Formats: sequence, C-alpha cells, structure tokens
Amino acid sequence: MEARTAAGEVGWRLWALVPILLLALAVAAVVSQGDRVVDLVGGAPPPADELDVRRVELRQGEIRVLVRNPQREDVTIASVTVDDAIVPFSLDGPATLGRLRSSTVVVPYDWVPDEPLSIGVTTSTGIQTVHDVPAAVLTPEPGARGFLGYLLIGLLVGVVPVALGLLWLPSLRRAGSAWLAAFMALTAGLLTFLGVEALFEALELQAGLPPSLGGPGLVLLGVAASALGMTFLSMRLTKGRVGASGLALALLVAIGIGVHNLGEGLAIGTSFATGELQLGAFLVIGFMVHNVTEGLAIAAPATRARVTLVRLAALALIAGAPAILGTWVGAYATNDVLTPLFFALAAGAALQVVVEVGRYVARTAPGGLRSGWAVGGYLAGIAAMWATGLLTG
Amino acid sequence: MAKLTRRRLLCATAPLAAAPLGVKLALGGQAEAAGHDHEAHRATAGHVETAASGHAAMIGEGAPAVGGPNDLDALLYPPDPRPHRPGRVREYTLVAHDVELEIAPGVFFPAWTYNGTVPGPVIRATEDDLLRVRFVNAGAHPHTIHFHGIHPTNMDGVFEIVGPGDELTYEFPARPAGFHVYHCHATPLKKHIHKGLYGAFVIDPKEPREPARELVMVMNGYDTDGDGENNFYTVNGRTFYYARYPIRARKGELVRIYLANLTEFDLINSFHLHADFFRYQPTGTGEHWEYTDTVMQCQGQRGVLELRFAHAGTFMFHAHQSEFTELGWMGYFRVEE
Repeated sequence: MEARTAAGEVGWRLWALVPILLLALAVAAVVSQGDRVVDLVGGAPPPADELDVRRVELRQGEIRVLVRNPQREDVTIASVTVDDAIVPFSLDGPATLGRLRSSTVVVPYDWVPDEPLSIGVTTSTGIQTVHDVPAAVLTPEPGARGFLGYLLIGLLVGVVPVALGLLWLPSLRRAGSAWLAAFMALTAGLLTFLGVEALFEALELQAGLPPSLGGPGLVLLGVAASALGMTFLSMRLTKGRVGASGLALALLVAIGIGVHNLGEGLAIGTSFATGELQLGAFLVIGFMVHNVTEGLAIAAPATRARVTLVRLAALALIAGAPAILGTWVGAYATNDVLTPLFFALAAGAALQVVVEVGRYVARTAPGGLRSGWAVGGYLAGIAAMWATGLLTG
Repeated sequence: MAKLTRRRLLCATAPLAAAPLGVKLALGGQAEAAGHDHEAHRATAGHVETAASGHAAMIGEGAPAVGGPNDLDALLYPPDPRPHRPGRVREYTLVAHDVELEIAPGVFFPAWTYNGTVPGPVIRATEDDLLRVRFVNAGAHPHTIHFHGIHPTNMDGVFEIVGPGDELTYEFPARPAGFHVYHCHATPLKKHIHKGLYGAFVIDPKEPREPARELVMVMNGYDTDGDGENNFYTVNGRTFYYARYPIRARKGELVRIYLANLTEFDLINSFHLHADFFRYQPTGTGEHWEYTDTVMQCQGQRGVLELRFAHAGTFMFHAHQSEFTELGWMGYFRVEE
C-alpha cells in the first residue's frame, strides 16, 4: 500500500514534466519551421539595426562610447561619426554584436569643452544611431579627489539633512499624542511621495532599456521584492508581531529612505558624469532642504522610544549614506539597468513602510486614521515634499 | 529624480547659484578641478590632431575606402573621344540591377544601378553620332533612362516606363556637344535617383577638344537610414576612395575633368581644388570659362574643368561643404614631375 502511494507520487511528479517536454518539442518545431508559419501571414520587417548607447565617456583627446545590441539579430558596427564627420575609430570589444552584447567604440578626438557633441554609430546596413551629448565635459576617472568630492556631495544631500531633521526629536517628544499622530501621518505622506516619485522614475528609466532587458516587469520585480523584503524585516524586528513601532519602525523608515537615496545618488552621479546635469550649489541646497523632511520622518516614530545618540547617528547613516555610494557608482560605473532597479526597490520599500506607519497611526492616533490629525498630517507630508521638491526641479 | 527637469531648472537659475555656506568649499574644489582638466586638454589638443584624427589620418591606408586601387577606373576614365563623323552609330547596353553595394567600409547600400555600379557607366559620343542605347530592366521596379540633351520627346525616358523584365532601345542623335547626365525618371523620382540610377554623358564637339588626361567625377550622396538626409557623400560612388588611391597626373600636362552633381536631398554640391586653379566651362558648352578653384553645382548641373598642375605633389580636392568632405567626399591628386 505504502509502496503504491510512493510510486504514485513519483508518477505524478513525472507527469509534471510532460508539459515541459512537449513545450520543448513544440519549440523545436517552431525553430525548424517557424519562418514558414510567419510567411503565411506576411513578410517580417527587417531588423531595426539600431544600437543602445549605454554610456559616453570623454577623456583627454578621446571619446569612448559603450553601445549594446538590443535586438535578436546580430549587428555589425561599420562606421562612426562625430558631429557629422566620419572619424577613425577602434573597438574595445567585438565589431559584430550578438543579442545584448556590448562593445566600446574608441575615437581619438579633440572635442571642445562645454560644447555639444553628436556621436553617430552606423551599422553595416547603414542605419545610424545618434547620441547627443548636451555639453562636453571631462568624464571623471576614479581618483582620490573625485571620490572625496562625491563623498562630500553625498554627505551634503544625504546624511547632513537627515541628521538635521532628526534634531527635531526633542521637540517632538514634547508634543501631545494628537500632534504626534499628525507627525506620524506626515511621515506616511512623505514616504508616499517618495514611493510614487521613485516608481515613476523607475518606469521612466526602464522605458529607455531594450525590451529584452527591462520592461515594467523589471520594475514590478523590484517593487515586489523590496516590499516583501521589508515585510520580512519588519516581522523579524517585531519578533513576529504585526505592526512595528518605536525604534523598529524608525529603522524601517530609515531603510526605506536609504534605498531611495541610493537611487537618487546614482541618478545624480550618472547625470553629472555624463554632462547632463549642472550640479550647482543651488541643486545641492535644494536636495538638502528636500531631505531635511526625511529626518523628521525618521524621528517621528522614535519619539516614544529611548534612543541613544549612537543609534540616532546610525539611523542618519542608514537613511543618508547610500546617497554617497550611489553617486560613486553612478559616476564611475555603467548602471543603466541598476538605476531603474534601485528606484523600483525604493518604491517598494517606501510604500511598504507607508503601510507600517499607517498601521501605527491607526493604533495610536486619537480617532484613528480618519481623524483630522491623521488626514491633515498625511496631506501636509505630501505637500511638504512637493513644495521642497520644487527646489530640486 | 527627474534629471531633465532638474537640469532645465538649473539652467534657468544658474545665475542664482552663487555658492554660499560650506557648500562652496566642497563644490568650489570640484569646479576648480574641472577647470584644470580643461586647460590640460586644450594644451594637448595639437598633439592629438596630428597623431590620430583629422585629414592626416584620411590618406592611404588610413582612409576609410572600399576596394582595390583600380576598381573605379571604368568610372574615372571615359572612353576615348572619336572624330566627328555624322550618322555613325554608337551602341551601348545598360541593364538595371538591384545590387547591395559597399559604399563605405562595412556599410552596404541596397542600390538600384545601371550595370552594377553607382554612378552608372560613362556614355560618350561625338556630336551628330546616332546613339543607340539598349536598356534592359533586370531590377524589381519600373525604370527609364532620361538623357539630358536635344532629342524627340518619345526618347526622353519619361513617358515610356520600362517594367521589370522589359526592355527599350533609345535612339537619337547626340546633341548638343557638352557634358550632360542621364538618370532614371520613373516615380517616385527622388527615390529612383538617390538609389543610384544616374551617370555621366559626354558629347564631344565637332572640333575636338585638346588631347588631355581626361577624368569623370560624379558627385553623389547616400541616405543609408532612410531619413531623407545623406549619411555619406562620395565622388564616383565610394567614400574617400581617391584619398586611399590618389589620382595620378603629371606636372604641366592638361588635365580635363568632367564634373557632375547627382546628389539627392542636398541643394548643392561643390568641387574645390587645393594649391592650384582651373578653368571651368558650365555644362561643357559655350565660350565662357571661369577661372577659379571652387565651383558649385545644383543637382543635375555639370561642367568641364581644365588645368595644368603648376607643381608636383599631393593636391587635395573635396566638396567645399565641410560636412560633405568629412562624410566621404574628399580625395587627392598625386602629381609627378
């Protein structure tokens, strides 16, 4: 009897393989005869033969362009132009690129600082992919000076404002429970804003990736992974109870903000390194004012908890320091897939923390989620982010 | 982070960005570093120019040209002129083929051709010869041959469209003497011309021109990505061909160039010779010669250039539209003692 059950189990497991085997057969059939099937409904158009320009680096007397083949069919790089002039070039990588393969086009070129550049890469079928550099600036190469610069920028736009915002903690402690609930709702509002902003950023960036790499699926994957990851973390922090509070909630908020700042750092680093962003003092100030509110968001849940200075500093670093890492990676590495993914992670994390904070407000606010304190605080949070966000464009 | 929006905002507010506070320390350092780098870059620019880029690299092996040294001889050197003998029959056969042509190294253009080349073969007759041009359409589209010149309108290659697989023989007396062009006149005209159906048509005058080293140059362009703008420019069909294989001549000998423009999309093309002057006879007709080093032609315009090189050496020639030059329309004469 037992043996028969076991045999049955094995049988059903084998049966589960049948669809896979049949699929393999069907795939083989289409591979060998698929073109005939397509011919029945009409001719397939020729491949687009366009390339993705992943990164353009300007060195002294040299332009380096990293290109990728986004299509199924092979693409061969045949000719390169700069500002509509054929230029001698060499390839750091293969000339014929298979699907999703990349190669670096190296052009010796005396480019003019601060002026626009238009780089064209022509394939063997004569299709030209043109990439415009809005203003030619020397691409920073990894070096102590640059690392220090980006460290300072990351500190200024990430760590410093969060730390400053945390200094509202003593004031928050004197607030009554209604006011505290309002501030918690404000935190939820801030995080909602960050989550939505990150989600849109992720969707916008993935649209620039080849369909075979990105698609909204990449964003969904990031959002789901980070939301579930944060839920898991929340369960661990609260030892299985649903609903984090106090320091645990503050930590969750800090992590959510930290992932967001990583994505933001990446975007700043990339845009600056590729000459797309004027990283002036005004922008840095904008980010500082914008991110001070993030410190407030972390401070609010920690109001009723006992927090040491060390822990506060740790929270500030968790929330702010990823901006430094982000600018480094953005400035020195090719990160066209990384950036949308991190924004997706940020969106998932932020929105999950909104749920956590919402639960907390529902538990603690006099009158619950529908009280004027909660609703007003939430709207005030979104409004604050929107208003300060105007400073960063 | 919406980077473009931020960039836009920053451009608008840049004047406000006088860096205050501690920010100034950090960012001031950055800005200075960038400034230094630019200085260094400018300082090395001259070296870079001669080392790797610019025209210096576009000569000999460095010129991005397709093929071997004598590939385009049939297009460059016209058939010999013949003395005036009214009524003599001159027969040519032109076959329209669809061919993938390598017009720049590794770049293939799906061309429509007469006899497999762009431009098509040079057709030459003496005034009052009877031209008999058999046209066979072996391409996939209807075509014609429209000759410039004086002829009956049913020989004009406009109304008698020759379908794929069909043929037609054009027959007319060669008139007037000069330098002309021929091209397909099927519609859409722009498509049929820019695909490559055109060529040079020389009619020698009764009184023969002085014997010379004769050359034919047809200026053209290729729109390889179909956006209505040329991606490559050439003379006789291949980018930088005469930069890789300079045209040979002797100092002091008479050089005659039959120059025509069949560039589609761009309003004009031009020819500029370095380090010497030539005389130019528009359309190869009449008594008016201009003494210059640069001529301009609109599409379908053509003329005859004559010169004797005053020096030996390497003489650059190119379109005086810098863009065309740098997209392939540039070459050299190598003049020997």
